[in-house]
Amino acid sequence: MDSTKGKPKKLESVVSFSLLAVLIIITITILLTQSDYDMTRFGVGATISTSGTDTISISSLNPANYQKLSEETYLADNLYEKINGKAPLYIESGFVKLSTARFVNKNDESLWMELFIFDMEGIKNAFSVYSVQRRPDVEFLPDMQFGYRTNDAPYFVHGKYYVEFIASSKSDELFKAMMETAQKIQMNLPINVNTQIPELSFFPEENLVAGSHKLYLESAFGFEGFTDIFTAQYKFDDEIITAFLSRKDSAAEAIKSFESYHKFLIENGGEEAPSNNPNVKYVDFYGTLEIVTVAGPFVFGIHEAENPQLASKVEKMILNKLREMGKIPNK
Amino acid sequence: MTEQKDKNLGRRQFLTRTGKAAISIAAAGTLSFLLYDTKGPSRYSAKSKDLVTLPDFSIPHKAGDTISIVEGPDRKQTVAKAIELLGGIERFVRQGEMVAIKPNVAFASPPMLGATAQPELVAQVVTLCYKAGAAQVIVTDNPINDPASCFTLSGIGKAASQAGAKVILPREYHFRHTSLEGGKLIKNWPVFYKPFENVDKLIGIAPVKHHARAGASMTMKNFYGLLGGRRNIFHQDINTIIAELAMMVKPTLVILDGTEVMMTNGPTGGSVSDLKRANTLFASCDMVAADSFGCSLLNLKSADLPYLAKAEAAGAGTTDYQALKPKMGTV
Repeated sequence: MDSTKGKPKKLESVVSFSLLAVLIIITITILLTQSDYDMTRFGVGATISTSGTDTISISSLNPANYQKLSEETYLADNLYEKINGKAPLYIESGFVKLSTARFVNKNDESLWMELFIFDMEGIKNAFSVYSVQRRPDVEFLPDMQFGYRTNDAPYFVHGKYYVEFIASSKSDELFKAMMETAQKIQMNLPINVNTQIPELSFFPEENLVAGSHKLYLESAFGFEGFTDIFTAQYKFDDEIITAFLSRKDSAAEAIKSFESYHKFLIENGGEEAPSNNPNVKYVDFYGTLEIVTVAGPFVFGIHEAENPQLASKVEKMILNKLREMGKIPNK
Repeated sequence: MTEQKDKNLGRRQFLTRTGKAAISIAAAGTLSFLLYDTKGPSRYSAKSKDLVTLPDFSIPHKAGDTISIVEGPDRKQTVAKAIELLGGIERFVRQGEMVAIKPNVAFASPPMLGATAQPELVAQVVTLCYKAGAAQVIVTDNPINDPASCFTLSGIGKAASQAGAKVILPREYHFRHTSLEGGKLIKNWPVFYKPFENVDKLIGIAPVKHHARAGASMTMKNFYGLLGGRRNIFHQDINTIIAELAMMVKPTLVILDGTEVMMTNGPTGGSVSDLKRANTLFASCDMVAADSFGCSLLNLKSADLPYLAKAEAAGAGTTDYQALKPKMGTV
């Protein structure tokens, strides 16, 4: 037998080695690409909204001189993995998705920040989580509808999104970078939702503490049945009065809410105080005054006031404001 | 050409190729057999004989030597003084013992924000343990966020390592199933066990924090980190699970750090504006007593935290911390 018959020819060897070389190059390319790939190129998990019409890549939000270290996405079923005990606050307020990214300064790795963008489905939900977490003694950001800064970071609402940052340290450089990202969000992240919250305009402006509005979507003042309650603070010299207001779907709904909250107060130790108007209840609640009023589709009043005169004054201010705006009849 | 080549295939070549093919098939089959998981993916369950119980690490204690409270701004000094007031570190750690330290490393958050234990405090306790003659000190936790990120960004990994401790990140094989006798929630549940299996003493280190769900997160809640699996389901009954943790874990000593207290937006916080300086640190052999005292820094009473009464009723400690005659100090 001719032993040379089983051996490949020179051309076959060249072709074979060429194919092997191509396969090796492809393998190396795959490994290199896989080690540092950008999920946004594949449209997977790294965009900010769940809506197909208003998505942007979180990678596009990095400030100049900062590079993205990592990014994460959380939905309602795993939000606790990121924020643990704070997750229910968001989930009970309409949470849809959390997108986060950590950016580090290219010249100083000790300077890093993490961006949190919570998609809350609507502006009222976003405003609610923003307002109930708002820190005391903050500086409000003038160019934002709802936004403030602390010593270390900005926090704001952008349409249906609630946005916050954490900073590795108190640093002007970091804060500047965070504001750069905030501006990119405002300019590039479409919101496509109504950004008005009409209820805020129902609070009279006289003596109103600027930026003090809050929205409790559930269980306001510890009462499970008290939903969609806006609050605002009024300042008279050193005294603060907290007013609340909620617009229900109908007058009947408002009466139901009015009565159930009044009942809750009495069942929990409140004492009925005299009132000559069946639509206004006064309750002495452990030394503080609670006023609950119903008018048309509105339930409003005063919470835990120490000064009854000022409490009544603010309650009447709200009533008059609603009348002026034509939201309820004059009589 | 191929046709001619096949015609010329010799018997020897045929047998060689057949042999190679057989070897390849046998190798693939053997590998598949070795890797085949006959049980399939497991759920959270184990047979009774496989259940484990965490060792009891506690030491005898009585009124006057159970809890100490030290005021001062420097954590290294306050913790040293607090332990000294209880009889010195030698009372808790003996020559040649293995010690586990369980700090709160729940979040990938910088130390400045106070969401995790402070690195210098952890390092100081490691140093004290070695001073008492510990053979080895391990520092470990099973964080909410990615463990490596948590240990890195909190600064605890580096600080503990530099102090000579062995830092252990959780791995799947560290978990075993446990059932708490008399427990309602901890039944056949995975617990972070292996790192604690062969240690002699256990020290917990936790900051005082507001907690949106539980009211407060202190020494008892810190041991939530020992739970594995989908532990977030326990948030539905947060008071019971914290009380059961106090029953399940019997530490030698706990350190409760109220030097800076997270007053709002806990447990993650997110801003230095959430923190308030209280310059108070507790060392205690009784977690219930430590937390009952510690919650006053959050302007809470022990009655405001139902898990304290539940833990007390289960015999895990006392809410009447004054009866323990706390030792007081200032540095």
